[in-house]
Amino acid sequence: MMRKEIRFRLNGEEMVCDVEAHWTLLYFLREIMGLTGTKEGCGYGECGACTVIIDNEAINACLYPIMEVEGKDVTTIEGLVSQNGELHPIQKAFIEEGAVQCGFCTPGMIMSAKALLDENKDPTEEEIKEAIAGNLCRCTGYVKIIDAIKTMGGGR
Amino acid sequence: MRRFEYHKPETIKEALGLVTSLNNARFIAGGTDILVALRQKKAEIDNLISLRNIGELKGIEYGDGLWIGSGTTHTEILKSRVILEHYTALNDGVKNLGSRQIRNVATIGGNICNAAPSADTACPLLVLDAKVLIAGINGERWVDLDGFFLGPNKTVLDKHELVKGFSLPLFPKNTGSSYIKHTRRAAMDLPILGIAARITMDDGKEGATCREARIAMGVVAPRPIRAYETERFLVGKPLTEDVMEEAGNIAAREATPRDSIRGQAWYRKEMVKVLVGRAIKNAMERMGL
Amino acid sequence: MNGDVLSLVGKNIPKKDAPLKVTGQAQYIQDIKLPGMLWGKILYSRYPHGRILNIDTKRAERLPGVKAVLTGSTIPDIKIGFMKDNPPLKKGKVCSMRDEVAAVAATSPEVAQEAIELIDVEYEELPGVFDPVEAMKEGAPLIHEELKSNVLKLPWKLICGDVDRAKAESAYIVEDTYKTQWVTHCCLGTSGCIASFDVNNNLTMYSNTQIPSLAQRDYIDALNAFGLKNKRVRVVQSVIGGGFGSKLDTYPYEYIAILLALKTRRPVKILFTREEEFFATSPRQCTLTKISQGCDREGRLTFREMEMILDNGAYTSWGATTPSVMMMPISSLYKVPNVRYTAKCVYTNNNYSQAMRGYGNPQATFAIESSMDQLAEAAGMDPYEFRMKNANEPGEVTPQRFKITSCGMKECIEAVAEKLNWKEKRGRHNGRGVGMASLIHVGGGARVYKSDGCGTIIKIDDYGKVDVFTGSTDIGQGSDTVIAQIVAEVLGISIEDVNVINNDTDVCPWDVGVHASRTTFVAGNSALYAAEKIKAEILTIVSHMLGEDVAFLDIKNGVVYSKRDKEKSMPLGKALRSIHYATGGKMLMAECFYDPANENFDREFKGNLSVSYAYGAHGVEVEVDRKTGKVKILNYVAAHDVGRAINPMLLEGQIFGGGVMGLGYALGEEMVYINGVLKNGNFLDYKIPTAKDVPPIETIIVETVDKDGPFGAKGIGEPGLVPTAPAISNAIYDAVGVRIKDLPITPEKILKALKEKGAEKLDEA
Repeated sequence: MMRKEIRFRLNGEEMVCDVEAHWTLLYFLREIMGLTGTKEGCGYGECGACTVIIDNEAINACLYPIMEVEGKDVTTIEGLVSQNGELHPIQKAFIEEGAVQCGFCTPGMIMSAKALLDENKDPTEEEIKEAIAGNLCRCTGYVKIIDAIKTMGGGR
Repeated sequence: MRRFEYHKPETIKEALGLVTSLNNARFIAGGTDILVALRQKKAEIDNLISLRNIGELKGIEYGDGLWIGSGTTHTEILKSRVILEHYTALNDGVKNLGSRQIRNVATIGGNICNAAPSADTACPLLVLDAKVLIAGINGERWVDLDGFFLGPNKTVLDKHELVKGFSLPLFPKNTGSSYIKHTRRAAMDLPILGIAARITMDDGKEGATCREARIAMGVVAPRPIRAYETERFLVGKPLTEDVMEEAGNIAAREATPRDSIRGQAWYRKEMVKVLVGRAIKNAMERMGL
Repeated sequence: MNGDVLSLVGKNIPKKDAPLKVTGQAQYIQDIKLPGMLWGKILYSRYPHGRILNIDTKRAERLPGVKAVLTGSTIPDIKIGFMKDNPPLKKGKVCSMRDEVAAVAATSPEVAQEAIELIDVEYEELPGVFDPVEAMKEGAPLIHEELKSNVLKLPWKLICGDVDRAKAESAYIVEDTYKTQWVTHCCLGTSGCIASFDVNNNLTMYSNTQIPSLAQRDYIDALNAFGLKNKRVRVVQSVIGGGFGSKLDTYPYEYIAILLALKTRRPVKILFTREEEFFATSPRQCTLTKISQGCDREGRLTFREMEMILDNGAYTSWGATTPSVMMMPISSLYKVPNVRYTAKCVYTNNNYSQAMRGYGNPQATFAIESSMDQLAEAAGMDPYEFRMKNANEPGEVTPQRFKITSCGMKECIEAVAEKLNWKEKRGRHNGRGVGMASLIHVGGGARVYKSDGCGTIIKIDDYGKVDVFTGSTDIGQGSDTVIAQIVAEVLGISIEDVNVINNDTDVCPWDVGVHASRTTFVAGNSALYAAEKIKAEILTIVSHMLGEDVAFLDIKNGVVYSKRDKEKSMPLGKALRSIHYATGGKMLMAECFYDPANENFDREFKGNLSVSYAYGAHGVEVEVDRKTGKVKILNYVAAHDVGRAINPMLLEGQIFGGGVMGLGYALGEEMVYINGVLKNGNFLDYKIPTAKDVPPIETIIVETVDKDGPFGAKGIGEPGLVPTAPAISNAIYDAVGVRIKDLPITPEKILKALKEKGAEKLDEA
């Protein structure tokens, strides 16, 4: 198969990459870029562990053709930490509120939360649940995850 | 994952040209169904032709009716005020479809063309009298949505055709619509049963009679279906509890569900009886009655 | 601790590895690659029961990139598991769809997958048996012919007192049958391992196991069987993406990876897909339980009798030993003087079972606590009053000889009743109802193995920074943090100064495994005593330096100081440097191997299994849609006697997580096997709860300060899901008058029961 060149932004950086047409974004991130913070929990868009943000929207990287990334702005969990190593406030909230147990769902969960908060600064509990309904977690029962996201809003 | 080539046409014409000339070619819209099928090796495809970059397929327009481009995502539909206010059943259908992540990429065209009996936009579009605009290399044609579905994952689309979009009429003032998705889980689920209703009353007052009714049912047959007999029964009647109950009974006779791991046939039939009435009630509430 | 104010114990300290996890830097087995690594892949059986007539691997071997192909007849003869009945690759016969038939190692997962598809296996299909009751019948197909019976030779039988006499003397007796379903752990991170040999054939196994020390032993046994005598095995645990009991054993895929690595002389990784995680890992088995209980006129329990049949599946892992833990609630949940219990584990052509969070307790408690409500009704008592009357109390010795020390069961039941507004909300029968259920669980270790111990090594550097090497494993529950809190509390240093190393058998001492809600108690005590040892040594030396009696010295905020003389103090780091850089100086280290004073069961399955016991009660208010059978949880209250909450935030995380897992068990989750084939092995059809399914949950932490626990703490890992299903079932009964006796409680079952009840009423009329 021919490799194709695509250009896009990844965590704020301009990228020019040779890719194969059948790759998913998830495969590209984990296997080519070594960005293993984005997890594969199922490969079918049913668990949300691979959630990343493309042009302000949360998507499942496991179902996203790499060829569609052309010209887009991709943010992964690795892109949330600032240049000087400061964690994003959502990451801090997850730590402080006890929203992390085994942690496998955590990066995807945080990306879903970020997409929500970027669009809606003070979401209600229902809106939070709706936004993370596609991110399965088996450890936490979601309660402290929801609490962590709540602290980001006006209810802080 | 099977290896394939990926094509990104920017016009419908280009897309149709590619699908006609390439071997083992299929269109891909949001990809949330087809990429799963590819991964499960349920599809043998050498060329995927993306519809995502075709501007003509996108967008919602409201004027002397509603036009929804097939490439419109569920999230875009969810954000439409016009659809929420005038085509509420469709808002209902999209609201609980998949997850946020899925809705952000999956398109209404994909949901309809995949033609699953459980497709969440199918019943709403059926009761909203949607017409499908199909584009092929030899031109365009219109099909009623009811005539579009043939069976599970089967439609009238020729493999070299694509759906351009859906046209929905304007409805009179005293119209309300709704969709109920009956599931085991509160999110990330397929319906055990889906029931959509649209009701137009002859005037907006209580005690008035039904002028036009549409009832559609999902997962009760090999394809989403209209409950014609139920619709005929409702017309001309005041929508009392008794009438709604009887409508549920009639609809249950029109339903031919099967047992599956997702739900048992008897239960689906029972739910038709219950949910037809509830869907009608929801539709009436939206009318402001 | 001497009534001193605690500075870290009892505080909501964030989980120590959370920063790694929120930034995506934590390395799970998914994320680890070794140089030269190959990918292993397994071919599973095509039939649930059949003879393997021929395996042709030629086409697979010829595929470029394939480095090894193995089948049952090309590997040494070994059998693994609790009954040693499970060869890693099957030979001659397959007994379930999950049976491993062949395996390959290749340069990429894609090539490995392609190679698997090129292996041709010829089978002769045999009639299968998929129901344990059928499997016990005369003439049923035998899973293991040489055993001559499908019933496992495990004599699960507990007899306490005289049940027959108690039965004859009881004023009220109820009897019923309960069923539970197959469910699976659904760890978000799938199973996997990497096997890697060095030039001397010593093995390093990268794994997400819950039992590093026992796994190490299993692998050593296997290497011996492979002819590699006296080799070293090192188990390195990646960050673990969920455990819940799924990784309590070693499994065929691990041995296959080892064999492939041995054959290819390269590291081999096997990583499960989500499909494999569903059909090729061992789930919680289904059970069929006959229960009868009785009470006297005053409502005091007189006896409890239970007979249980468990589907073992085709091979044997710890699932077959869950009756030993089921005995705990059966003999000791409430005061019940006469008890009789028997259980049979039966081979079938289903997937083989494993323990899952609760280790049998959820299945047993569903029957017991549903039956408690039935008995209360028969006796004309309120189920809350009935439970209070029979509740366990401190100081009790139960019929199974459990010595109950701390016990907050009554406080839990009362708290639940109060929060639910029980008196007002009970008995309305208007579609809304309340229900409750209690639990007992091991809270101070569980002696199910020859040792229930855990080792700790502590070393402290020149600046007062501490490394704690513990045998215990963190599977997300937070033992890394709880252990650090305990050590930092004892040593009077900050939590940041404690580093916990818990993932490498080369440096960490032995531990029996992360199970039985034992880690806070056992690993916590082990860390506590090691920390006290090192502290005593520091204080002794510093007492000479400062000229102060050691009895008056303590450490706080990193300073060694005299409690009676402000002038006498020394920063800890300075003290440690003085100790180190003196002639004949030393670096301080301490170790402790703590093995609790609990007992293995005797031949009658009696003995004090745990040093202390955890109690709790859950209450729930539900609304049932009579037309659709759908249940809505309006309110959920979970009260737990935890001894002492060392970290209330992490502890609540266990209660919330357990409770929601319990909700899934009660209302939705079920592995649908049809003739041995799993029909819903994906997250869409196997419905674990989503965020939108979570009801309002209130936790109540009851602190009884256990005399044996570290700072008074008891276990909390499993209790959260034990009483969930019966509490919900009891609430549904209160709401609409139907009792669902087989899990999960689906809308279909409720509606069917309501219709049958309606028909009965019509008949009566």
